Amino acid sequence: MTILDHFFGILFISLHAMVPITLAATGEVLGETAGLFNIGLEGIILLSALTGALGAEAGGWVVGLLAGIGTGVAIGLLFGLISTYWKGDQLIVGVGINLLAIGFVAFQLIILGAPGFHAVPRAAQVPNINTPLGKDLSPLIFLTLALPFFAYYLLSRTQVGLKLKAVGEHPAAADVAGIRVNITRLLAATGGASLAGLGGAFISVDWIGSVTKEISAGRGFIALATVVFSGLNPLLVLLGGFIFGFFESLATWISTFPGIKAVVRWEIVPMTPYIVTLLVVAGAIGRVRFPAALGRPYIRE
Amino acid sequence: MKGLAFIARLRRLKAWLFARLIGPAARAIARLRPLWESLLAGLIGLAVGAIIMLIYHFNPIQAYFALFRGSFGTVYSLSEALANATPLILTGLTFAIGLRGGLFNIGAEGQVYIGALAAIALSLFKLPAGLHLIVTLLAGMLAGALWSLPAAILKIARGVHEVISTIMFNWIAHFLSFYLIANILVDPRRAEKTISILPTARFPVLMPRTSLSYGILVSIFFVGLVLFLLWYTTIGFEVRAMGFNPAACRYAGIKRWRTALFAFVMGGFTAGLAGAVDVMGRPPSYAIFSGLGGLVNLGFNGLGVAMIGRNHPVGIVLAAIFFGGLMAGGRLMQISPGVPLELIRVVEGAIIITLAVPELIRIFRLFRGKLLIWRRA
Amino acid sequence: MQGKSRLLILVVAVSLLITGLVLLPGAGQALKGRVAVILDVGGRGDLSFNDMGFKGTDEAAADFGLQMDEIQSASDADYLPNTRNAAISGQYDLIIGVGFLLTDAFNTVAAEFPNQKFAIIDSVVDQPNVMSIVFAENEGSALVGALSAMVAAYYGYPKVGVVLGIEIPVLYHFEAGYRFGIDWGNKKYQQVTGTNPNIGLLWTYTGTFSDIAKGYAASQAMLAQGAGLIYNVAGPLGIGDLQAVTEAVFAQRREAGPPFMIGVDANQDYLGDGHRVLASMMKRVDRGCYKAVADVVHGTFQGEIVSLGVSNRGIAISRYQDLLDFIEFGINAGAITAADKDRIISNWLTMRQGIPYWIWDAVSDLEMKIVSGEIVVPTANTVDEMLAIRAQYPLP
Repeated sequence: MTILDHFFGILFISLHAMVPITLAATGEVLGETAGLFNIGLEGIILLSALTGALGAEAGGWVVGLLAGIGTGVAIGLLFGLISTYWKGDQLIVGVGINLLAIGFVAFQLIILGAPGFHAVPRAAQVPNINTPLGKDLSPLIFLTLALPFFAYYLLSRTQVGLKLKAVGEHPAAADVAGIRVNITRLLAATGGASLAGLGGAFISVDWIGSVTKEISAGRGFIALATVVFSGLNPLLVLLGGFIFGFFESLATWISTFPGIKAVVRWEIVPMTPYIVTLLVVAGAIGRVRFPAALGRPYIRE
Repeated sequence: MKGLAFIARLRRLKAWLFARLIGPAARAIARLRPLWESLLAGLIGLAVGAIIMLIYHFNPIQAYFALFRGSFGTVYSLSEALANATPLILTGLTFAIGLRGGLFNIGAEGQVYIGALAAIALSLFKLPAGLHLIVTLLAGMLAGALWSLPAAILKIARGVHEVISTIMFNWIAHFLSFYLIANILVDPRRAEKTISILPTARFPVLMPRTSLSYGILVSIFFVGLVLFLLWYTTIGFEVRAMGFNPAACRYAGIKRWRTALFAFVMGGFTAGLAGAVDVMGRPPSYAIFSGLGGLVNLGFNGLGVAMIGRNHPVGIVLAAIFFGGLMAGGRLMQISPGVPLELIRVVEGAIIITLAVPELIRIFRLFRGKLLIWRRA
Repeated sequence: MQGKSRLLILVVAVSLLITGLVLLPGAGQALKGRVAVILDVGGRGDLSFNDMGFKGTDEAAADFGLQMDEIQSASDADYLPNTRNAAISGQYDLIIGVGFLLTDAFNTVAAEFPNQKFAIIDSVVDQPNVMSIVFAENEGSALVGALSAMVAAYYGYPKVGVVLGIEIPVLYHFEAGYRFGIDWGNKKYQQVTGTNPNIGLLWTYTGTFSDIAKGYAASQAMLAQGAGLIYNVAGPLGIGDLQAVTEAVFAQRREAGPPFMIGVDANQDYLGDGHRVLASMMKRVDRGCYKAVADVVHGTFQGEIVSLGVSNRGIAISRYQDLLDFIEFGINAGAITAADKDRIISNWLTMRQGIPYWIWDAVSDLEMKIVSGEIVVPTANTVDEMLAIRAQYPLP
């Protein structure tokens, strides 16, 4: 095997590994731009991995992905409602969503008969496609690569983006200018959560082909870190998601090399993605500015 | 005239009553509002759990009876609830200190691991009984604080957001723990765990035949300490002011790096202690198993505890006991009506989501409003 | 008005709740006895170790008319209270602990309750009322190691791989046996064909028994480096291993392996449509649990050490009958559907027949020699012992 073969192998895995993180993080950027901070991403990914698997089993992969998106929308609506109209504390809701999801998914898997595990039949998984870029790639990879550009365009070049920024930065002024703050925030949070839902469904309906009680494995929190990394710039989300996916894949890949064990203990290698992310943030990115009204409900005076 | 004087006297009595008794009582009730809110949210969470049980054909009355019996129903179960609460109080404090200072410090998870490992490492040495315990506690505490320092420095020097740095350090701590457990601190006879804390450094069991140890006193002591530091010292005031209104603090000349450093290091102390107290007082093994099954989620559960406890040390104690009770009661709930343990997490989640909604608390405002109307009349 | 409507909703909800409660049936009917199964934090759903403990106890309970209660542990802190709760209740004829993590808890509680019967899997608790059931995983791993090496050589692959979970002593048994088996298979292949294939080993500890994506990525890496077979020694991660194997097979426009996965603990041959999992190293935790329950029912229960290995079929390489037994298990787990059953069986037979008979003979030969004691498979319980075995069988 040449170095290049290894590189393409790692690239192949990392392109898949980045999908759930990047999707969830792109969605979260939309929400946070509008001023809503949802730390329940982990829960959304986990729950929609379950509903996605059940949906795919019932009606094929399209239904599965839609079920994941639907789950994201439902949780996003709940989160959005509580944090806008009901003036609730966003952090608390997010923590609650995570706990609820962890409990409910494991509980539901027990009820399904095979506790902790549920497989999606091969025929109900998203079919891979062959492209000039590579064989057997998931079509969702291309969506994931394109979406941040779309989000970037949306945020920086359109009226909608302006509105989102306004309600996130200075909701009172936005209100005076005639923007309906709460509904704008609610929609942004719901749209954002739907992407996290798609990311969750991707894991079970496409990537791994099954759902387990811990399938999200901290990816929601990594997505959160990616958002902070990006400073709410969707293009940097793409970069952050890729860096993380790449180094995670690299770590798992090279830990299988027979020679590597003589050089470094296996426990050290999986630390790489986290250390690299820290270095990049500390070295190149540093202080990022968040919307002034992030995390606070808007109360009209 | 006499009648008028009587009425005047009555009025004075009424005024006195309000000033001395009913007024303070009403104010006390108002002050305790967070408590009522948490209680209401608890009830709603349990109701959500009951509805889910009904949907899946479990009997919620049986289940909640078992939950209660297994959490606060007997001295044994209460001890188990308190044993679970012991580390959660401390990790709850970690989050609360951070949030009070305007930091979203979710590094408790990793600091717990490091604190526990430091405590274990101290059992590589032999020391006299009392001293060993104190030195081990200090080691856990310092290790937790040391692990929180890089995040603090990155925040202060480079402006790296604490969410990103603490998540990364949690994972690094995770794999570092794997390394230390399997190699440096490994029990030579049983490689699936670390060496056990030596008897000289263990917290004695407080209630025989339960998991409750004297470690809970450490937790309670730190609740008092944090309460004192945050509310009765200058630096504590500055930390809270920074969390409340950072812009005003800048004008007042409060230095951001000082408050951030204080919040991180205090948080590290409490989280490190949580890990140390847990391994020093958790029978029967007094050790960490590979896979970290005893420590995983102590940090993240502390986040929930801090939320339910409204980021107040006293509230955190109550919330931690409540959480610990749910965990202890859940063990029994799965035996007798056979409700899977996972449902407990669903209930916890529903409670926390409910807590976030101030709207639901209107009922209590209504109650308070009536009281005020009566007073005016 | 708003307040009123809210109140109304509340009243309706509460009354619905009460109605539901009244309509619910009471506790289940009385059975002849009860057994409890206490699981460690790994919990159910790994399709291997924990599920096997559950399966065996469940079957025994059904056969002897007992009720089985499953007790999960959310944290290591739950082991002692869970065991104590079960013992305090006094209602269990037997309490089974699945996994060595429960060792200390069983040691403590067995002393506190000398009249309660206990059984523990994968660990030795030296008390008169505890039956300790241990397995010789190294022996079975040697069998699949020999098979892997010879099959890889036959199909022209240079390597075989093993994906392990968290570094624990039980996993050392697997790694040690597998290394020995590969070495034995290399030599056997040379004996028969005249050329030494020098099949090398790719191995990794992923540090997780839950993040399936790590099993998937590690397997892909091994397949890319020329591994012809991947041995799953990380419970649920096998789902990821198989996903990688399946994709590698499909990429060659085939349905059947090679490459293959080797299953663990349970019989996992039915996964991968019956022709991508070549064999499974079965660790019959179910038999151990069944034996413990049966002994209690028959009054022959003793606080003894029961060693299950190749000689008493407590450890075995999967055969046809095992496939039939475990297909139902897979259907219940949602891994396959009943409609797939016949196709899986025929696929499996074709796959096994595709491999020269002498290889199967050689594996049987090794099995006989292990049973007779002619060959002693090495094992490891500590880091140092494991390092010694890695040095002895480097398998570059």
